[in-house]
Amino acid sequence: MNQPLIGKLSLVTGGGRGIGRAIALKLASQGSDVIVNFFRHRDTAEKTAKELQDMGVKAKIIRANVGEPAKIDEMFDVISNDFGYLDILISNAASGVGRPVLDVDVKAWDWTMDINARALLLCAQRAARLMEGRNGKIVSISSLGSFLVWPTYAAVGVSKAALEALTRYLAIELAPKGICVNAIAASAVLTDALKFYIKGQEAAHQQATPAGRMVTPEDIANVVAFLCSEDAFMIRGQTIIIDGGASVMAPFVSTTGGVNQ
Amino acid sequence: MSIEEQIKDIVSEIVRVDKNIIRREGTFKDINADSLDVVQILLRAEETFDIEIPDEDAEQFQNFGDFVDYVERHIAEKEKA
Repeated sequence: MNQPLIGKLSLVTGGGRGIGRAIALKLASQGSDVIVNFFRHRDTAEKTAKELQDMGVKAKIIRANVGEPAKIDEMFDVISNDFGYLDILISNAASGVGRPVLDVDVKAWDWTMDINARALLLCAQRAARLMEGRNGKIVSISSLGSFLVWPTYAAVGVSKAALEALTRYLAIELAPKGICVNAIAASAVLTDALKFYIKGQEAAHQQATPAGRMVTPEDIANVVAFLCSEDAFMIRGQTIIIDGGASVMAPFVSTTGGVNQ
Repeated sequence: MSIEEQIKDIVSEIVRVDKNIIRREGTFKDINADSLDVVQILLRAEETFDIEIPDEDAEQFQNFGDFVDYVERHIAEKEKA
């Protein structure tokens, strides 16, 4: 099997479950050692780490709430001490407060921005030092809510827009250090969390996607792996959309032609 | 400091209320804690006591006393294990 990431070390924030887990497994399948950052769910993080080790790579879990700068520092102190280098940073951990825009108070705004946007800033600052001379890669996980409006998604959508803008700045300012920085924006991804919310509406969601099915965590992981490969060397500061074509379709038009009645 | 006192400190810091108004029979609503406050309280408790509090469990708490009892029980279980 082709394992271009042998000898590399990846950090996946929020890597214990869902999209982060799929990314961790994909990077490991290409040979990368993986640090799984988690916050709330130690058991699932441990399970993921075990899966990674069974694939023959080194795996370590580190608990840290990426919304707290001191915890990010502690996490990177551990990485510095235990490894002293880092090749790939996946800024995936996310949270958010779902409220109509008029109900978003300062606390909800700060909470969402701190975890979804500021964490990339602080992680990238520490990661850049560990990536010195190693052709590092940074990929942040955004969402289509950065430019599409979804109900009660204001705080998260704005934080994702900030994440994408920061991705562009990092891409340019870290380019001289040989670090490639990009983002991925996906539509609703079929994770356990989402399955709970859309119960009974799976068919409608599938129908609204020209590609004929919903986006899976593995779809995201595949593109992350590409962005972490040398084949993607000339892609910088971009946000790659993974949505099966949903966001380019005009409203009220069916996927098979004609206008919906 | 007892676990109850430590939890009161967490709640009073996050909700910004005097800890003396936090009573076992009182609810988060009584001290005007919103949903984000509650999430932050649970996260801080998880971190402080190194336990997991699944959302399904947290939804069962009728009052502050239930929350304290839950944390005490899980710390005891962890120590036994």
